Amino acid sequence: MQRSQAEPLPELADAPLSAEDEEAVPFPRLLPRLLTTGGLVGLAAAFTLSIEKIALLKNPAYVPSCSLNPVLSCGSVMNTPQAEAFGFPNPLLGVAGFAIVTTVGVAMLAGAALPRWFWMGLQAGVTFGVVFVHWLIYQSLYVIGALCPYCMVVWAVTIPLFWYVTLHSLRRLRTAHSVIGYHAVPLTLWFLAVITAIGIRFWSYWSTLL
Amino acid sequence: MPDPRDRGQTRRAKISAMREQEERARRRNKNLTISLTVIGVFAVVLAAVFVVNRVSGSESAEVAAGESRFVRADSHKLSVAADGKVTLVEFLDFECEACRAAFPIVEDLREQYAGKVTFVARYFPLPGHFNAERAARAVEAAAGQDKFDAMYQRMYQTQSQWGEKQVPADEVFRGFAKDLGLDLAAWDKAYNDPATLERIKKDVADGQALGVSGTPTFFLNGQKLEPQSVDDFKAAIDAALAS
Repeated sequence: MQRSQAEPLPELADAPLSAEDEEAVPFPRLLPRLLTTGGLVGLAAAFTLSIEKIALLKNPAYVPSCSLNPVLSCGSVMNTPQAEAFGFPNPLLGVAGFAIVTTVGVAMLAGAALPRWFWMGLQAGVTFGVVFVHWLIYQSLYVIGALCPYCMVVWAVTIPLFWYVTLHSLRRLRTAHSVIGYHAVPLTLWFLAVITAIGIRFWSYWSTLL
Repeated sequence: MPDPRDRGQTRRAKISAMREQEERARRRNKNLTISLTVIGVFAVVLAAVFVVNRVSGSESAEVAAGESRFVRADSHKLSVAADGKVTLVEFLDFECEACRAAFPIVEDLREQYAGKVTFVARYFPLPGHFNAERAARAVEAAAGQDKFDAMYQRMYQTQSQWGEKQVPADEVFRGFAKDLGLDLAAWDKAYNDPATLERIKKDVADGQALGVSGTPTFFLNGQKLEPQSVDDFKAAIDAALAS
């Protein structure tokens, strides 16, 4: 660098800095939007599930709005012990968690720069979420043997939330860099894997619908 | 006055920024292309599996003389009408709650229309119900000892004890066979016989060919019936009897 320190040219100071900025934050537009919309969608699903749970408690004969057929049946999922993994209905976790995610997204949209510890907290939250969701997927498919549409909305939202927050957290790692470039590919494979598992598990049922 | 070296650097910086931007755009495109390709391959594989399944899938058997897809020669009749004019066929699943709800209604109708309406039960265990197929095998095994009715009734009367449990109910069903005084050795043999399962799958294939997707599905003289109440049922049966 030969230029004088006293008067850096605006272009000079600008160009490399902004490039570095974008490198530092891999998804400057995607992540806040994802957190906001994903949080809202997850919140809506968790809230609906809570309402359905309350209706079911008031009247055990109540048939939830998402009990469509033997496979797509919230009722048979919501009445299992797995639906209260921590001793209270799971959607309560979702209502709190997704509200936080939405708020973080909106704060980022508003231009907030969040400190490292804050991101670590969010990372801890989405990691817990994604592990829990995969346990629920396993339970739903192979133990309960039914699917609950609202729960599947939560699955579909939690996976990308985890994925992009994690890429954001790992952005300084060299290996993460190549993944960040092709961020949608692992996510696509992830979704297809879950869809395949659902397809195979309930194949005999889906084939009756054709 | 900017000196020429500075200007050169500015240009270089601009070029490198542009290059980086291009690189980013290229990667973005690749990211999208690869993702879409993966989805495309998945769709093609899925379609192939569907086609293969269609071609080699379980076709419902040919309809022989004197039977129909609704009532086969080996279909279980709960009651028989002397004149054979009206037939009510139910595709049922022993673990389905709606079927259990329909059970007492059908029992009442059987009583009320005894000798006037033929009631036929066809197996349609749904894969979402853990013990539905086992229950159907248990009933079919009992049918081999002329106890179809008794086992059929027992299944619905006890559904709340074994239904929705996600654990094999073989012992529970064996207990029913014992209670009914069946020859347990013969029942065990039939229960585990692949032919019993085949027999059930034949019913399922007929149901699928008829467009049954859920249970219970009723057909009155070959017409799909979707009764909302007991009165609907009676009205439809009365109309069929009167016609």
